[in-house]
Amino acid sequence: MNGWVLAATVELAGGGAAALWGVTTGPTARRVVAQNLTTAALCPALLLLAQGYGRPSYVDLALLLALLGPVGTLVFARLLHEDLEGQRPSAWGLTYAVAAMGAVVVAAVCAATGPGRAMVKLLVIGALLVGGNLIASRALSGAFRGVRGG
Amino acid sequence: MDRRTTPRTVLLVVGELLAWWAALTLLWLVLISSVYPLEWIVGASVAAAGALLARAGRRAVSWR
Repeated sequence: MNGWVLAATVELAGGGAAALWGVTTGPTARRVVAQNLTTAALCPALLLLAQGYGRPSYVDLALLLALLGPVGTLVFARLLHEDLEGQRPSAWGLTYAVAAMGAVVVAAVCAATGPGRAMVKLLVIGALLVGGNLIASRALSGAFRGVRGG
Repeated sequence: MDRRTTPRTVLLVVGELLAWWAALTLLWLVLISSVYPLEWIVGASVAAAGALLARAGRRAVSWR
């Protein structure tokens, strides 16, 4: 077990367990926030595992997760908007903490990868992960409720 | 010649499609693991279809 795999294990055990607990307990507003943060917690772990095991194909899983996670949250925000009426589900401290962790992991894996196409791919994943998560969190907290068709 | 077929409009449409195509082709080339001629051909073709979809999507969410 090297440092990358150890970091991924710590992240999966900490972030993954916390996200699972958040999703399975408490009121709907909390569950939906935890569901949103699950992507941001698990995607960096996949990047770390890809680096740790030397298997670039795991990076594709991280890409898919970073792309589809926020989209899934938007679907939840749309379908649950009646249950969440009058509430503004958000956990901005946690959201920014997880976004920062994602950025740190992407930076570390980029440094290990070195310049090239693989690094650009990692940066694309990082931008999708952090940007998508922030937008999905804003959507959950009701920031886009006035948007036409939203 | 109505508004939809003026040279300026046609130029704008072609320019937008070309910009989407270039961006999507670049994205394809970044995301694949190894670059060889067949990948160029497939990527450029898929990006062309993607450019049409991207413009349609952009127009659908524009308030005009």
